[in-house]
Amino acid sequence: MKKLLFAALAVALVLAGCGGGGKSDVIKVGWLGALTGDQAVWGENELNTVKMLFEEYNAAGGIEVGGRKYTLEVIGYDNKGDPQESVNVTKRLTGQDKVVAIIGPNSSGNAIPMAPILEKAKVPDIATVATNPKVTVQDGKVKPYNFRVCFIDPYQGAVAAGFAYDRLNARTAAVLYDVGDDYSQGLREFFKVNFEKKGGTIVADESFNSGDVDFRPQLSKIKASNPDVIFMPYFFKEVALSANQARDLGIKATLLGGDGWPSDQLISMGGKAVEGSYFVNHLDYADPAVQDFKTRYKAKYGKETELNGFLAHDAVLLFVEGLKKAGKANGEAIAKALEGIDVQGITGRIHISPETHNPEGKDAAIEKIVDGQYVFQEKYAAQ
Amino acid sequence: MVQFLQQLINGLSIGSVYALMAVGYSLVYSIMNFSNFAHGGVIMLGAYFGFFGLTLLKLPFALAFLLASIGTFFVAILVERIAYKPLRERRAPFLYFIISAMGASILLENLVIATIGPTFRTYPEVFSKAPIELGPLAIGRLDLIIFVISAVSLTLLILFIDKTKLGKAIQAASYNVKACALMGVNTDRVILTVFGLGGFLAGIAGVFFGMKYTVYPQIGNITTKSFIAAVFGGLGSLPGAVLGSIILGIIETFVAGYLSSQFRDLIAFVILIAVLVVRPTGIMGKVTEDKA
Repeated sequence: MKKLLFAALAVALVLAGCGGGGKSDVIKVGWLGALTGDQAVWGENELNTVKMLFEEYNAAGGIEVGGRKYTLEVIGYDNKGDPQESVNVTKRLTGQDKVVAIIGPNSSGNAIPMAPILEKAKVPDIATVATNPKVTVQDGKVKPYNFRVCFIDPYQGAVAAGFAYDRLNARTAAVLYDVGDDYSQGLREFFKVNFEKKGGTIVADESFNSGDVDFRPQLSKIKASNPDVIFMPYFFKEVALSANQARDLGIKATLLGGDGWPSDQLISMGGKAVEGSYFVNHLDYADPAVQDFKTRYKAKYGKETELNGFLAHDAVLLFVEGLKKAGKANGEAIAKALEGIDVQGITGRIHISPETHNPEGKDAAIEKIVDGQYVFQEKYAAQ
Repeated sequence: MVQFLQQLINGLSIGSVYALMAVGYSLVYSIMNFSNFAHGGVIMLGAYFGFFGLTLLKLPFALAFLLASIGTFFVAILVERIAYKPLRERRAPFLYFIISAMGASILLENLVIATIGPTFRTYPEVFSKAPIELGPLAIGRLDLIIFVISAVSLTLLILFIDKTKLGKAIQAASYNVKACALMGVNTDRVILTVFGLGGFLAGIAGVFFGMKYTVYPQIGNITTKSFIAAVFGGLGSLPGAVLGSIILGIIETFVAGYLSSQFRDLIAFVILIAVLVVRPTGIMGKVTEDKA
């Protein structure tokens, strides 16, 4: 009996294998991101976006590649927000599932270690909100299979520093950052360089370890240095905790952050503590270009999309354009096609530079938290 | 000087939360001689009980607080009945207890992930966030409340153990469970009491932790710190657990405040190891001699 079952299983497997390569024309695309842990809100949002768009493409008859119609299928895996797990998942997607391209992850720390596997398997990856320069360029050399649709950290740090100095008239700034996170380190570095270049002074530069929940010792030190602004380049959970604790300690300085901030949870958790703070964002939520996607997402899933959804949307757009341009469902050809491609996304114009694989010339949006709402201030481009 | 006092306040505020957690480890260890790693899971559940009491049931704070402590009281007893009692009855080696404890801890964490969800939640604002300002010093209202309630409940616990008959039985059992049973003490009841007390305090610790920070399924991991504080103070000794926790909280804050947070755990644990090398029983640990 056991043998029979085994044989049946083997036949089924063979049939399934044939089905994938033969009759039905399906192009498999991988996705990875956090579906559990702190960043699960974002991962779920990204995967939902990719699923929704693929369904829409398929419902419209699929995508024509080299004269044939194909439908798209996403295979999404949980990387638990862990770099090691991202490597495992990438291996599984390229080796076992044979995807032609991967979308995600949303953080630099998880995107960076994927590069060697992508290069070996010749599968391109389009990161969503991984903003560290090293995601696409390492030691001055561009990584052939890594792309992204967001702008990079230096740019965010420079925007925050420029905005603080020019628009908020801040002359002294303190920085609190997460030493265990590439993203946080990157933003902090470029904020410091650019703020000092403008003529400002960094009066305190404090760090914490990933997973910490108490920041009072560092904040007490920052309080003593009496800065005009405090730059907090990390994610919303820690932002809310540290903002609450800063106010507990009687710190009244303006808080400033990057794209790790926007989330409904920041408002519910940070409450009054984050009121009046500013952050650099990838887009403006009230921009007419994003409204259509926002309504479609809400209609399908019954809740608002987070920031990640918009960038996952553009990553899908970029992939589809690359696929069409390549003319065949082959990772290597798609990677070639993505270089120099120019797509109008909902987050702005995405022109992938062949030298850096970054979208060049994207504006950043500055937002302020007023009465628990993100209020768009201005488009700000750093020089 | 202001800096120093402010950091001291910060240290006491972290230390008092550690203390509430550490006492649960110490209580169980004193009787059963193993580390109840499921304690972290019980604390995490306490945080969730309090959270849902306030948000779903819309209870006033005092009632939500009571609900959480009574809830964890029963959870802790349940853990004992399911995970440890069968082992006790079979006189299993202590290693098995520790493995069972780890299993219970993983089970509780994943139970919450599967039923409530993996994302973190925030307590509604019960106490005003505006700090009490004493000149340049700022003391959080919540911190002060945590400190006072922790101190009161720990004092009550120590009084209970010192003054009541059941407390005396616990003390006796902590010296020698077998001899205690031979003297006619119902050790099963003593053990249940110990778990219940630890569970009750775990509920308090969980609610405070959730209010001070956030509620998420991995809260149990934080209790590693309080476990170490309990070892440092002397496992099995309640005043030791409290003292160890306060000292650990203060060391951590001072290292993070005056040196760098990167060195915080490094230096804190080097000091702990150094103390244990000199005094293996911890600061106030009971010295037990094996009489072969």
